Amino acid sequence: MKNQAVTERDDANRTAHDDRARPMTRRSALRLGLGGLAAAPWLAAPRGALGAVLGPASRNPFPQDDEIVLGVSAAFNGPSRGLGIELYRGAQAYFTHVNDAGGVNGRKIVLKIYDDGYQPDPSIQNTVQLMIEDQVFLLFGYVGTPTVTRVLPLLKKFQDENVYLFFPFTGAQPQREPPYGDFAFNLRASYRQETEGLVNNFVRIGRRRIAVFYQADAYGRSGWAGVRRALAAQGGQIAGEATYRRGERFTGTMRPQVEILQATSPDAVICVGAYAACAAFARDAVDLGLRVPIANLSFVGSENLLQLLSEGREDAPRYTRLLVNSQVVPSYEDDSIPAVRQYRDFMARYDPAVPEEIVEDPYTPFAHSFVSLEGFLNAKLLVEILNRLGDSPRRAGLEEAVFSVKDYDLGVGERVSFGPDRRQGLQRVYYTVVDEGRFVTLNDWEGRLA
Amino acid sequence: MKVRKLFQKTLFGVFSLFGLIVLSTSILCIYTVDKHLSEEYQSNSENIAKTIADSSVDILLNRDMSTLQSLIDQYRELQGIRYIYIVSEAGEPLAHTFVPGIPEEIQEEIRSSEVSAETLERTLPGIGDFVEVGSPILAGVAGTVRVGMDTDLVALKVQRAIGQQMYLICIILVIGVLASIWFVNLAAKPLGELLGFAVDLARQPDPARAKGRKVLERDDEAGQLARLFVHLAGSVETDQGRRPKASPGSAG
Repeated sequence: MKNQAVTERDDANRTAHDDRARPMTRRSALRLGLGGLAAAPWLAAPRGALGAVLGPASRNPFPQDDEIVLGVSAAFNGPSRGLGIELYRGAQAYFTHVNDAGGVNGRKIVLKIYDDGYQPDPSIQNTVQLMIEDQVFLLFGYVGTPTVTRVLPLLKKFQDENVYLFFPFTGAQPQREPPYGDFAFNLRASYRQETEGLVNNFVRIGRRRIAVFYQADAYGRSGWAGVRRALAAQGGQIAGEATYRRGERFTGTMRPQVEILQATSPDAVICVGAYAACAAFARDAVDLGLRVPIANLSFVGSENLLQLLSEGREDAPRYTRLLVNSQVVPSYEDDSIPAVRQYRDFMARYDPAVPEEIVEDPYTPFAHSFVSLEGFLNAKLLVEILNRLGDSPRRAGLEEAVFSVKDYDLGVGERVSFGPDRRQGLQRVYYTVVDEGRFVTLNDWEGRLA
Repeated sequence: MKVRKLFQKTLFGVFSLFGLIVLSTSILCIYTVDKHLSEEYQSNSENIAKTIADSSVDILLNRDMSTLQSLIDQYRELQGIRYIYIVSEAGEPLAHTFVPGIPEEIQEEIRSSEVSAETLERTLPGIGDFVEVGSPILAGVAGTVRVGMDTDLVALKVQRAIGQQMYLICIILVIGVLASIWFVNLAAKPLGELLGFAVDLARQPDPARAKGRKVLERDDEAGQLARLFVHLAGSVETDQGRRPKASPGSAG
């Protein structure tokens, strides 16, 4: 897996990336990190072996005087790259606004990003790099369950250093529960909540035989467990299940999976996967005559999914008519929501660039997407927390700052609170369907899907 | 390479002995490597199953299926391990690594609560042949871990290991044979010289003419024989000189 890094300074946010943002190998990323150390006298104190970097003697007054560096490891390449890129763009829109206004208590927010391709091992390597070499203030905007679940033990390992993971793009349980829940803060609703909502709504309209199509990894299992749990609460069980390997592309076939589920005669299928595989499944399901509602979780990347199913197809509605996507943020089309208005304004004003230094193949971003809106909200809440750290922010004060967030109005119509027993900010789940080539809020389940 | 007749049988004997050694070593090697590697793979699989079973307890009790899946995914990446699945005590699959789904044969076993911790050989149509090992979780009251080891891959590994050993043995065989021929020829060379010398001496049994021949300077058995031949030739010549010549008139 090619790892690349880029630092984003506020003056480079809206312009072409400067020299610091050239494509780099892992080694050159390290050089940049060390270069940064040399340039910052307070970080340039003699250091021993790597293992001692995070030792008590090396603790330094994070963040730097003029910056707060956030470490990001996410999918910027591969079949799920749309998720990492969109999440990054949404967050960057807000950070750019904050930096233009003078930063957080005079400090600019800088993102140090690495690509993990949505694979666990590179994610671990990137996190070690971010924590030990780059010495970032906190970890932010990670993408995916299989990656995050493998990174969590690292946070526990370095728990004395108070390195926290903020707002990962996953609704899985491990970062919400012991033993690792203490090292992460979540904004979005969980997969458990999403699947419970989907199951309850399907059962309510008489669709009781629910099958699951899921990614054969921790993410898929998390969604599978959510469906199983929700069905058990309704006195039912999963009607059938089929899996696919992480990294499947839209060009691949999902016919075996469709045939497995078709044999179980489901009333609905809940997909727990990424957009490329889920789009392939929806396509093959329609082609093979499986005409039941196909639901996807928020992680899927709704716009990317829709794009794959619609691009170059005159009969696109045939493939999208029965799609139901759960979301953990409101519709970006709903201008009545203050945070959505702000998001649309900032996205239009700053139009965050795709980090081309790290994205290998051309990617055309969406003007708006659920994923970038989530990234935007993540950034907005993080800035609020960083503000609460005061003029001398330290990692050790992060948890207290987060727990001080009570009934905070993020602008989405749902107040955000955190506490020792509440490590997830938002609880609401939204449901959307495709109408006229875009996702709209689903208000009438019976009318649409019964 | 020409081998003297005298040594052909010896050389044949050496070749036969080498062949026998190679054959017996190969059979022993195949048996040992096959047995040890298979046992090692099976033992590793059993250890993995046990490790997963031991690690799963807290995770299962916390009902954290994604961590459970993450755990088995890590072991699934090990070479030779083709699939892993965990079945609850109630006979429900809790986590597995099958794509696109759990094979029907295993599903039936799970449904009929026939999943145990025993080792068994399994053929899954369209997938392959496996040795499946198991380990109970909390003595079986919390479920069972099953690990499938790809026997085709193990066989391939065994073949490769055997192939490498056979390759080495064959190299040793070729070197041994060539060395044997060389050594035999080394021994045959003075005999050839002795033979040539003896033939020359027989044609012209004059010890004086034989002086200076290299074979006479050898300090081995060939040299001793050559010198003995010269001595005998000298004796014969002396005897012939002493014997009275027959007069032409005495004949008849």
